[in-house]
Amino acid sequence: MPSGALLFQSVLLGLLLGGLYALLASGLTLYFGIMRVVMIAHSAFLILAAYLAWYLHEQAGIDPLLSMIVTVPLFFGAGVGLQRLLLTRLRPATLTMMSVLLTFAIALLIEGLLGYAFTGTQRRINLGYGSASIEVFGARIAVVKLIAFVLAVVALSALYLLMKKTRFGWALRATIQHRDAARLLGIDTDRVAGFGFGIGLATAAIGGTALSLDTTIYPSLHWHWIGPLMAIIVVGGLGSVPGAAMAALVLGMAQSLLQIPLGTTWAQTVFYVALFATLAIRPQGFFGGRLAQRF
Amino acid sequence: MLNASRVLKISAVVLLAVAILAFPSLAPNPYILSAGVLVLNYAVLSTSWNFVGGFTGYISLGHGALAGLGAYGTGLLVAKGGLPPFLALFVGAGLVALLAVPIGFAALRVRGASFVIVSISLVLILLLVFQSWASVTGGSRGLVVPRPFDLSRPEHHRVFYYLFAALLAVALLAWWLIDRSRFGLGLKSIREDEDKAEALGTATFSYKLIVFVVSAGFTALAGGMYALWFGDLDPVFQFSILTGSYLVLMALLGGVRQLFGPVTGAIIVGVALEYFKVEYGDTPLHLVATGLLLALVVLFMPDGILPAIGDLLKRFDRTQRSSIREVTAAELREQRLTEANGAAR
Amino acid sequence: MILTLGACSSGGEETGGGDDPIVIGVSLPLTGDFSEPGKGVQQGYEAWAKIVNDKGGLLGRPVELKILDDQSNADRVVADYEQLIGKDEVDLVFGPFSTRLVVPSARVAEEYDMLFVEPAGAAKEVFEQGFKNLFYAAPAVANDHYNHLAEKILAMPADQRPKTAAYAAMDDPFAQGTAYGLKEKLEAGGVKTVVNEVYPPNTTDFSGIAAKIADSKADVLVGGSQYQDGVNLIVALQQLGYQPKLAAFSTAPTNPEFASAIGNKTEGVLSPTGYSQDAQYPSNKEFVEKYTAQFGKAPEEDQANGYTTGEVVAAAVTAVGCAEQGECQQKLVDWVRANTVDTVVGPLSWDETGKPKGAHMIQQWVGGDIKIVLPEDVKEAEFLYPKPAW
Repeated sequence: MPSGALLFQSVLLGLLLGGLYALLASGLTLYFGIMRVVMIAHSAFLILAAYLAWYLHEQAGIDPLLSMIVTVPLFFGAGVGLQRLLLTRLRPATLTMMSVLLTFAIALLIEGLLGYAFTGTQRRINLGYGSASIEVFGARIAVVKLIAFVLAVVALSALYLLMKKTRFGWALRATIQHRDAARLLGIDTDRVAGFGFGIGLATAAIGGTALSLDTTIYPSLHWHWIGPLMAIIVVGGLGSVPGAAMAALVLGMAQSLLQIPLGTTWAQTVFYVALFATLAIRPQGFFGGRLAQRF
Repeated sequence: MLNASRVLKISAVVLLAVAILAFPSLAPNPYILSAGVLVLNYAVLSTSWNFVGGFTGYISLGHGALAGLGAYGTGLLVAKGGLPPFLALFVGAGLVALLAVPIGFAALRVRGASFVIVSISLVLILLLVFQSWASVTGGSRGLVVPRPFDLSRPEHHRVFYYLFAALLAVALLAWWLIDRSRFGLGLKSIREDEDKAEALGTATFSYKLIVFVVSAGFTALAGGMYALWFGDLDPVFQFSILTGSYLVLMALLGGVRQLFGPVTGAIIVGVALEYFKVEYGDTPLHLVATGLLLALVVLFMPDGILPAIGDLLKRFDRTQRSSIREVTAAELREQRLTEANGAAR
Repeated sequence: MILTLGACSSGGEETGGGDDPIVIGVSLPLTGDFSEPGKGVQQGYEAWAKIVNDKGGLLGRPVELKILDDQSNADRVVADYEQLIGKDEVDLVFGPFSTRLVVPSARVAEEYDMLFVEPAGAAKEVFEQGFKNLFYAAPAVANDHYNHLAEKILAMPADQRPKTAAYAAMDDPFAQGTAYGLKEKLEAGGVKTVVNEVYPPNTTDFSGIAAKIADSKADVLVGGSQYQDGVNLIVALQQLGYQPKLAAFSTAPTNPEFASAIGNKTEGVLSPTGYSQDAQYPSNKEFVEKYTAQFGKAPEEDQANGYTTGEVVAAAVTAVGCAEQGECQQKLVDWVRANTVDTVVGPLSWDETGKPKGAHMIQQWVGGDIKIVLPEDVKEAEFLYPKPAW
């Protein structure tokens, strides 16, 4: 039986991890909502952002958090470009399948170029505060993990406000709910879709920076992220941002707690077990609406 | 009555068969021969992939995992179960086909997107399982599969080259038979419009499931054969997402609607991979090249190379015999069908 | 990436035999999980080739290395040796790095009847495969690396001796071998195992493992690590404020970047090593001097292992008088099996499975530098216990 202290520590770690998952999964589910696209390259962009943060820190000694000034607008632009220039070229009838392949190809490109530029060697930012921690009721929270969590919470809240309180957010949600109807209402759905993609990739930039604070990175690491993220958006209901966030917190916590009895590797399977269970029992996901049913 | 394009087609097929069979005696050294075995392995795998991809239009990125399961199934049955190698091969493939039923059940109930997600997840979860379950699979230390024959290395390559060639022939035959059958017609109707096919009374779900299981069986056979040939299995390589993407690239590049499409793609991509490796060594640029090629094919040539060449030949043909119109009823039907397909898109 | 080290000179005095170089094929993990030690071995090989060529080569022929990158991938390493032996028709081969890659590549060499001396296949599995052409060019196999440390711990007075131990090892035959070798001996001596974790090579998040270890408050921490995993585990443990009385890690602490990677809190960290720059073996002085001249810093264990491999093969080639594929290889194998070779890690000889007969030294970070503390007769510093806080 694990001690209370270990359980409490694991709950905290799970919460911190779940926050990061929530941010990243919300980006992934956003793309799907807007265009029915499973964006495999999402986590590759995540790793790219982490590498940029690492590189800037290594070369210029810039704190990784400041690298976001560069990466966030850059990724937003890349997202808009990706949607407008590449995805719109695909035939609508085979869009879902072909977009998977196209984004998969982009993921390979990013992985290959990162490997070429920085080799496959594992990298890690050495921060002065890298091993610092704060004590909370006997458990320890690493400062870097806390910063990453705060970043995720701030970004998610901003996304939530954007979608609920702004005109653009309404247009975006209208586009997700019914694209044709939105167009009839005079919404420029193409523009909205492009910006939606930009926002999705911007979350990857923030997530990547958060990731770089406390993890070793290497070019093929993105495959270890895309699996859990895809599982999260299916469990949460494809296209549902709140669903993705909820599922992320639940599964992140489950992973952290399962590590105690099962060990690290087996604990990761919880995502896939949840994925298969969801598809077998409730294919539309546990938090999503009707949208997911058909995909 | 044979027309020019059919003669051309048949002679191309015969040429391909002769080239494949003659290759071992022409290979200048054992390394080239081993590269040939790899290319044939890819050809079998991508043809197996094409049972699902070509007929139903469902793109699986997880076939690498099915091949890995076949490899480990065969390897474990030989190394731990003590079965004779080739019995283990078929038992292993049978088990994988059986396992494909629940996987297909979860993956195929919903359309497109979820299928892709499941197929990728399959690779990732199996990697975790085979790495963690070290007491059975050998974990990251890998699994050593005993050699089925006591041969020198070049001879070993030669024998397996012909075994892979035989497996390829069987897979092609099966694909061809399904292509001609009512079953195949039902599958293709799913590819063109799943809703209409369902409305017209096609049992789309069981059709998809059956063809998925057949595809998994062939993939596992190829994987198992690889295990017997290669001898060392490592989860990181057997359950690699990259293998799956190579298969998709090969099939798409060659043309998913063509019997010989995946084989053509496998030869092009497989030879290119080996060539680049020898010339430029191993760099991550492989990934870049694969990614670029995949993107280009998806954007500009989603029907593949073979149809593109076919169109070219047809145009050439038409100028030759512009005034004579001589087609059989079957060909006319086929032609109309393709035209209809084109219009449907 | 193909790196070919050209022959600088081909030795004027020697006549006959021709200038036709002896080509030696190698595949190394220059990228991927094992790239750090892989590059170290590469430098060892290159230093060896340069030193040999500066003296006029082997049998009057210059030596040339043909090094391929296997990306730490077991599948690639086989294709690499297949290409080197089958297509490029190299005269000799040297082994790759990491036990995981040694077994598949040794089989290729075996089936082509090539002599296979390797710098890194230290786990006992390597010697259980029935290879007849394989020799491990280092003093001891992984499970025996901590022998001196185990003796030291168990010899402590009962009130000081640690009572509990936590083990975390990468799922890799070498890394696990070192940790489990020590575990076996400590358990037999009454030190209780409270945590025993295994993680796959691509693990990056160590917070879960660290939480368990920290919760156990084990006296002894043993990490079966390569490099980055060891660093990540230590940082995660530091974040949780865990302080062991004794911490031993394989490989990682000897890496030049180790100290800065864990925030310079290295004091007291232990690591086994088969090599010392100050060892008084005749060829070692030459090696350290010329290596330092060539690369601008002194060699570490990985470089020494690569160099030792070269020395063993060179001794066989010189004694037998041939270096090409074919019957010559069997003569080389027979010679190595029957003889003792003087190397930078001391005189080496092998049993019939290719296992070396020797032991490893124990190093410790003391005063900002890593020094040999065990066994007593070669120590450079006093064994530090308990370990200061990190």
